[in-house]
Amino acid sequence: MPELFNILLVSIFLPLFPMSMVFNAVLENVKPNWLRVLLFILWPLMGLLIALNNNLVIPDWVLPLALSTSFLYAIRMLTLREVNQWTGFLAISIWSLLWLPIIQGSSAELMYGFALGMSLPLVLLVLLSAGLEQRFGAAYTGLYGGLARTIPRYAGVLVTVVVAAVATPLFPTFFFMLDMVVETVSSKPLAAVVLLLIWLFWSWAGTRLTQGLIVGRGSNNNIADMDITSMYFYSIVLIVLMVGGIYLGGTIL
Amino acid sequence: MERLIVVVAVLPLISALFIQLFAGRFGRGVAQFSVAMTTLSFLLSSLLLALALMGSESQALPLGNSTTILLFDPLSTLLATIILGISLIVHLYSVRYMAEEAGYGQFFVLLDMMTAALLFMVIAGDLITLVISWYLVGVILYFLLGQDTRSQTAYRFAFWTLITYRIGDLPLILAAALLFNAYDTWSLTIIFNEIMANPDAHLVMGLSLTDVVAALIGFAAFARSAQFLLHTWLPYTMDGPTPVSALMHAGIVNAGGFLINRFAPVFIHSSEVLHWIFIVGLITAIFGSLLMLTQNDIKKALGYSTMGQMGFMIMECGIGAFSLAIYHMFAHGVFKGTMFLSAGSVINHARHDDGIPKDELYTFAVEKQPNKVSHPWLLMAAVTLAVPLVILVFAHLLVAEDYFQKQGAIVLLFFGWVTGAQLIFATYRMRSQNVWRLVGLSILSLLVVVLGYVFISHAFDLFLYPDPAFRAQLYSAANIDLFSFDVLVAIVTLVVISGWGVTYFREQHGHRRPQESKRLWLNFYALISREFYVSDVYTRLSRALLTISSRLNVWLRWL
Repeated sequence: MPELFNILLVSIFLPLFPMSMVFNAVLENVKPNWLRVLLFILWPLMGLLIALNNNLVIPDWVLPLALSTSFLYAIRMLTLREVNQWTGFLAISIWSLLWLPIIQGSSAELMYGFALGMSLPLVLLVLLSAGLEQRFGAAYTGLYGGLARTIPRYAGVLVTVVVAAVATPLFPTFFFMLDMVVETVSSKPLAAVVLLLIWLFWSWAGTRLTQGLIVGRGSNNNIADMDITSMYFYSIVLIVLMVGGIYLGGTIL
Repeated sequence: MERLIVVVAVLPLISALFIQLFAGRFGRGVAQFSVAMTTLSFLLSSLLLALALMGSESQALPLGNSTTILLFDPLSTLLATIILGISLIVHLYSVRYMAEEAGYGQFFVLLDMMTAALLFMVIAGDLITLVISWYLVGVILYFLLGQDTRSQTAYRFAFWTLITYRIGDLPLILAAALLFNAYDTWSLTIIFNEIMANPDAHLVMGLSLTDVVAALIGFAAFARSAQFLLHTWLPYTMDGPTPVSALMHAGIVNAGGFLINRFAPVFIHSSEVLHWIFIVGLITAIFGSLLMLTQNDIKKALGYSTMGQMGFMIMECGIGAFSLAIYHMFAHGVFKGTMFLSAGSVINHARHDDGIPKDELYTFAVEKQPNKVSHPWLLMAAVTLAVPLVILVFAHLLVAEDYFQKQGAIVLLFFGWVTGAQLIFATYRMRSQNVWRLVGLSILSLLVVVLGYVFISHAFDLFLYPDPAFRAQLYSAANIDLFSFDVLVAIVTLVVISGWGVTYFREQHGHRRPQESKRLWLNFYALISREFYVSDVYTRLSRALLTISSRLNVWLRWL
């Protein structure tokens, strides 16, 4: 019984449907940006901490449920227009896959490294979403568009962050997904195929999100672009993520 | 010296980084830097190609202690030189062509990144570098096609391209994962050596690993090279800048042919996969050519022309003529690149003169009016059929005496014969003061083309696959049993000859069609004008998926 309780507890932090509602509810109600940043960094780490410290024996039903959860949220992301909620759904879709290395018994350091590496682009997206809300009153894709013309620096950073978040090489999520496919393809080929479909839907959803924001003629309103210092901040974090991705990739593959 | 291949691939990356950092300071001058770096890279790769041509041994060059390995071999040096040659031309063209466009510096950053990704793809000696560069080509192409951020249409079709490329990434990733699991290494050289030594050592779900991997690689190649059912992105991605179209049609779309060549050691040990590849290529060639002929938009016609050519390229792989596919890739790349880059001048010229000749050819092709034939038809038919056959047979006998033992070569011969015959037939129909002179010239040009093709393809064969036993294996992997082969050749011959027969019959009896035949013809026309409804089906499917997504969001709300 305590085992099941622990698994249920972990499934809040490494979300399994329907426990994923907890994270969504928290995200919906947490307004300060710094708290959201903490939430995105700490949430999966908490899950891993509980799972690894309790030496959980993972039942067989967890793997299909984890894959289904990730798949469900990947599909839901396709038509989501609110950037913050989109980020939350992507987080659930990514974090639920962290059950796979737990089941395979990967090393704790690697799992923490990946959890952090995969969450950092989401943190950047949260900050960028806040910036959009500040400038336009809402961070909605397809609502105003034309950011590439109106605020080109901001648009460039936004696109790169989304590219990093949806598992594009050489960012950590790419190497995580590649590793998961390698680990499952021979023993559980169906799981590998589902992983690849989830990956495809992330790309699809990411493209729809960015297209709705950056493409178009843009408004004539005088909207402030991102300042140089912030741009360098984002660029440095992205470079660090890329280097981290290559490092983590080299360790596992 | 061979290690220079690393520099060749890294130079465009350095250029991209420099432009990204200093575009603000140097303004439009950054384009010159990009051109200079591409030129330098091209010169170095030409040097490496010369080394390979002089017989330098192929080498796998690991980068430090990492899993990254770069290959110095005939295929990588040849393709790197071709890519850099085309890229250099596109760079030079873009310096002025893109001068008035917004995001000038960003365009050159993307162009350099694309060049680097393509270079890493062709010189990759390990599966991870190959997968990463293969993936990045699609992503960078998406942004290049969407250079005009105001255009919703450009982005719509750039998205089609991206999603098709992503679909093509999946089988390559699966193949890489399967190979790693089986051989416990990412190195292509080691994997291929193991496969050559013991091809049936591993099974996947009861199937031979080589068969499964070959099928997956084939599928990845189909998506990248716009094979039928995965082709819809190609004719529609014309809203991107012209230099990008040139680069795409001349270089990027050929990646499928490269991938099949790179995995040649896997394909020679796969049982049926090459036959399927041949069939897919054949269908693509037919559909691409058919749709090209029925377009009234010249850019879409060019897109379908590329699709047809890619079909031929994949078909060549399917009959074991791997090196010929590389030659085709090179020749088509140069030809199509030239067409795209000169499209602007042609359009400008067409504004002054529509260029449509109101002669017999026009009335035959457009107004469907048969021409009067004054020469003895049977004699001309005999010349038309016999001349290309004689030229092709003699040309091939000069190169390889055992030519007729290879089915793949016979298929090529057959295609050459049909094409040559059509050329002479069409030439014969053209108005000329001296028709014999015209036919004589067309026979001479056919002779030059055939001899050129035979000798060049033979030279490519010797350069890319110097081991005669390996070359023989490639052809024998594509062989089918003799009876089926003879039946197929007989059927295709009958189809071709019936086509000629129908044309003759219609010429003799005019264009009167029975009512039923007219209705069938109209239905066929509707099918072609809707491009076989392939795009419509995909649009419906993607809309259905988006509806499901949106319903799920409504039902589950924030859950």
